[in-house]
Formats: sequence, C-alpha cells, structure tokens
Amino acid sequence: MMAQIDTSAAPGPGPSAPPQREPRLRGEKPVLEISGGAGRITRDALAELWMFRGVLWAFTVREVKVRYKQAAIGVGWAILQPVVAAAIFALFLGRYAGLSSEGVPYLLFALAGMVPWTYFSNAALNGSQALVANESMLRKLYFPREVLPFSSDLASLVDLLPGIAVLAVAVILYGGSPELTWIAIPVPVVLLLVFAAAISVALSAVNVYYRDVKYALPFLIQIGLFLSPVVYPLSSIPEQWRDVYVVLNPVATAIDDLRLIMLHGEWPSWGTSALALGWSLLLLVLGYALFKRLERGFADRV
Amino acid sequence: MATAISFDDVTKRYRGGREYRSLRDDLSAVVRRRPPRDVVTAVDHLSLEIAEGESFAIIGHNGAGKTTALKLVTRIAFPTEGRIRVRGRVGALIEVGTGMHPELTGRENVMLYGRILGLSRNDVRRRFDEIVEFAGIGPALEQPVKQFSSGMQLRLGFALAAHLEPDVLVVDEAIAVGDAAFQYRCVERMGELVRSGRTLVFVSHDMSAVEALCKRAVILDAGRIRSEGPAREVVREYLAGVEAELTGRGDEPALEGGGPLEIDRVTFHDDSGAETGAVASGEPIIARLHYRTRGPVRGPIFEIGISDGRLGALGLASMFIDGEVPDVLDGSGWVECRFDSLPLLPRTYELHGGVLTESGVGSIVPWQRLGVFRITGEVSAAGKGAVSQLMEAAPVVLDYRWTIEDGAGGE
Repeated sequence: MMAQIDTSAAPGPGPSAPPQREPRLRGEKPVLEISGGAGRITRDALAELWMFRGVLWAFTVREVKVRYKQAAIGVGWAILQPVVAAAIFALFLGRYAGLSSEGVPYLLFALAGMVPWTYFSNAALNGSQALVANESMLRKLYFPREVLPFSSDLASLVDLLPGIAVLAVAVILYGGSPELTWIAIPVPVVLLLVFAAAISVALSAVNVYYRDVKYALPFLIQIGLFLSPVVYPLSSIPEQWRDVYVVLNPVATAIDDLRLIMLHGEWPSWGTSALALGWSLLLLVLGYALFKRLERGFADRV
Repeated sequence: MATAISFDDVTKRYRGGREYRSLRDDLSAVVRRRPPRDVVTAVDHLSLEIAEGESFAIIGHNGAGKTTALKLVTRIAFPTEGRIRVRGRVGALIEVGTGMHPELTGRENVMLYGRILGLSRNDVRRRFDEIVEFAGIGPALEQPVKQFSSGMQLRLGFALAAHLEPDVLVVDEAIAVGDAAFQYRCVERMGELVRSGRTLVFVSHDMSAVEALCKRAVILDAGRIRSEGPAREVVREYLAGVEAELTGRGDEPALEGGGPLEIDRVTFHDDSGAETGAVASGEPIIARLHYRTRGPVRGPIFEIGISDGRLGALGLASMFIDGEVPDVLDGSGWVECRFDSLPLLPRTYELHGGVLTESGVGSIVPWQRLGVFRITGEVSAAGKGAVSQLMEAAPVVLDYRWTIEDGAGGE
C-alpha cells in the first residue's frame, strides 16, 4: 500500500533534469501507482524529495523574503529577541540572583544561551504550523509535503546567523578576540537544525489532525527554556545525570558547544555532540516516519 | 495504445465535515464509542481507462466527484480503496494561482511557482520571456502579486502551467475565469498539447470547450459513471439532462449584477415559440432575454453574439448597429431576438450578451456568457470530416462549390 515512482526508468521532473530533455520512448515513462492507506519512508519517497530539492530551496527563499518584506526593521527582530531577553536575564538573574556564569560576563553567557534557544523555539513553532499555514497549497498542488516543515526550519536559520554575528561582536566588545575554534560553529548549528527538523516534521503532521499542538507547544517551549542550560550553566546539573541530560536534550549540547567555542575559545565536546547528533537523527527518522504515515490524509483534513 | 491513466475500482470517502478534530473529541469518541460521523462518498467504485494521447473530459454537476477524481490522479488526495496508475509526468491545473505569494513580485512568483509545478530553474529562465508574454502582465512584473488583479494572477498561473511539458495534463475549470481573449489562448494551448501527443484530462462546465477539445468524455453522477463515450454524444446527453431539469434555460441561472437592469435568464425557442435547447441546422431559433429593472432604464442597448468557445463571436445581433433600441424599460419583461437561420454545423454553441447604456459608452450588464444551445442535424455522411468537430474545424456552413479542371486539357 504505497505510492511508488519507478525512478530508475526516467530522470523525471525537477532541477536535475537536463534543460533539453531527450525524447523519451513510450516504455521509459515512469509509472506511478497511487493507493490509500498509511505511507512509509521508501527509497522512492527519498528519491522524490531529492528531485524536489529545488522546490525546498524555493520555499525557503520565499519564506525568508516574505518574513522580512512585511516587517519594517526586518532582520532586526531576529537580533532584538535574544538580545533583549539576555539583557533582562543579565539584570535579574546575573546581578540580583547572582547565578553562576562559568566565569564570563553574565550578559555574554546569557546571550550565548538565548541565540540558539531563540532559533530552536522559533523553528519548532513555525515548523509545526508549516502544513496548516499552507493549507490552500496542500489542497491544490502536489509536491512532497515534507518540503514545507523542512523549508520553514531552513528559513529560520536566517535568524540564527545574525544572532551569532551579534554574539561575536559582543565577545569582541567585552575584550575577547576571535579564536581558531570559531570554525567549529557549524557543529552546534547542524545539531540545532536536525533537532528542530525532527520536532517540526512530526508536530506539523500531528497538527493537521489535532490543532491542540498549536496551544500545547508554546507552553512546552516555555518549560523547555528552563529545562535547558540557557540561564544557568551546564555544570549546575548533577554530575551523574549530566551526560544523559545533555544527549537527550540536543539544545543543551548545542548551547554548551556554542559557549565553549565562542566564550571560552575551546573545541566543542566531540563525543557528546556526536551522541546528541545521533539521537537527533534518530528522532528525525521517527518523526519523518510518523509524517509519512499521516501524510495521505493531509489534503482531506487540513 | 498504452494506457495513460487507469482507475481500478477507486473509492474516495471523506469524513463528514471539514472541521478539525481536537484531542478532546477523539478521547470522548473512544470513551463513548460513538460511530464515525457522517461519511461522504465522493468517488464510488470508479473504474476508468484513459489512453495515451487521448483528450478526455469529465463532466457532471457540482459535487459529482469530478474534482476529487482529478485530485486523486495528481496525488493531492489519496483513494480510500482501489488503485490508480498514472503513466508519465503529470502537470496539473487544479486551481491556477494557488501557491503564488501575495507579498512576492510577479518575477519572484514566476520563479517559485515554476519550480513547484516541476520546471527546473533553467526551464523557467529559458522560457521566462515566453511565459510573461503569454500572461500579458508586462510592466506589473516587478510589483507584488497582491497588487495584481485576480485576472492577472490567473493569467500568470496558467501561463506557467501551459509551458510545462507534462505527459499528462490535468485541467480543472482553470479557464472558466479570465477574459475571452485569454480563455481563447488557453483552449488553443491545450489543443496544441493534445495535437503534440499529450494526454489531456479536462474537467469543465463549458460544454463548447469540452466538445472542441475532447474526443471522449464521461458524465459523473454521485461519484459513479453515468455515461461514457465520444465527447459529442456525452455532451449532448448531459445537456439534455440539464434541459430536462431547467426546462430549456441556459446552464447559468441567476446571473449576477446589482445594476439598474439585470438579465435573469435566457430561454431558447423554436419557430412555434416552444421552449427548446436545440434546433436543426438552418432552422429559425429565438433567444429570449428575460430582464428585470430597478426603476425605469432609458435606451438600453442589447447585444448578443454566438460563439463556439473561441475568441469573439461568430455573429452578432446588436442594437448598437441596427438602432432598434427600446425607449424605456421598466419592471420586468423580455427582449427577444429571432435568427431566421443559423448556418452552423451541428455542435454546442454559447450565447454571449450584454447591455450598453443609452450613450453606448458604459455597460449596464457586462458582456458575458448567458446560455448554451445546440444545433442538431447530420453532417453529410459522405465527408470524412464529419467524424470530428475539433478546434480546427470551422463552424460556419458556407455555400460553396468546387470546380476541378483535370490535366488532360479541359472540356
């Protein structure tokens, strides 16, 4: 019970097809079988997603353009959000409550937590709404549906990168200097992206069936802010739990990696990062499988 | 010939009501063991084969399952039971313009929409000028699409889709909107694709376009096939059914408008005055426009034209030309136009019409399709062309005679 595309027979549509197509013989046309039921992740599904990578990119570009065309200060919002939150945390938690900040100025410490956290929460919130927000397209156009949550996560990266730039400027203003370790910044970024994609792809599908997601997720994300080492250092987690905690919550790993890289000039913890990445990839596969299972009812239910 | 699309005992059911469930509903359903809510069967055990290169129409009333059938072919929705096989790449026009974003400019949307429809970036670049030319949006290209008229958005959407080169083109009412010139180009472009060997599946209420474009057709009724066969016969049967229901009035009841004068409906009559939807070729036909006014309307200029689905009318009856304008119309009544003879080949034709103001400058009722009628009769059985009346076949019957001089030197 699955839709199959015999991709071995013809190049098919998409950006990979050469501009001047060879005239195809009748026997070479791919035959598609369409039937109902629950879908699965198949090689054909992945091959099709690859063929539609141009659409993934086009949607990402569209999302970025649209987000900033309507907003007067555009990308400024992406910077303002973590900076203001970090400043408030620095004032109340750093100065008055006197939380530990690993020996760096608390503002820097909180900013290095808020920048990745802001990306994750925005990506999860936008990504989980990606299908419902594009309801009319789901009902009228065909393309692999997972393109929508994935492109939403990619588009949110445009908020993360200026955030990291602001963090770099703040480090320098506080008297620091760029270190060689900064080339490892992509490690926490990839970790965040994979984890956000796992959450988005699963929740966007569930959200089509149960709009409860829309109300539950912001609440969970608020709790998550305090479950992640944003305002407190990782070292305040009891030693014996720290490894489990940090792997199960990939955002914690990403935050800690970013602090090591940019605030302390150290290399990220490779072992932990690899485990957290492995866990995130597993979640991505599970989330994607759930998505495929629910996918065939999207147009009817959205 | 190979099969392009086959439906194998396909059923599609929707759970009643489109509204979303909440977790609470489902939990309480489990607890109380409620039966599933009302189920709508949109397509009911449908089996159908469409050959490669065939132009095929699906017609039927609203809610007959036409659009659902198309959505199953294009993988927008999936069947509840049964299986569909599609051979080759599908290009679909379910509702043109969907997927365009109002905040992006025309140029940006051309790139994006082209990609969604399956054109590569190079394809879109290579054909960019052609697409823009076809859409006729010219200087508006750098403006956000939200500033376009809906007609422009539609034209842009169709222009993109028309430049796809799918093996199977699926079109749903896409051309039912837009101005006459653009509709004509759309029908022409679909005709081109059919002639170049692509398969066309066309869903429309526009019977003249169906007859002009398609060789075969089915009538769907409540998700089942009521009738299947050559497009001409199926269209005739469908119109006969519509006539029986509406007693001869056009298929477009309740014309819109809030102006001082409205055309409620159009009826067609034969020589004896009896209402009919079809007359024989060469026989008189009377088109009666039933109007209603709000207060007295001075000197309304009625115009009607007969069309076979192409750009422009084949012939026109216009008070603007003949000057037989009524002084004042007040209340409700009808305006009748008698054609002593319509020298047209047997087929479906449309009656278009409109009403101009006294001065002839503005319009009271904009030019629009008012109704459909048929010319019946046999095309001379001796001619091979009698078999089909596709777009390239001209509809007007002329008096002509061939003279042949043979090479042997004449008489």
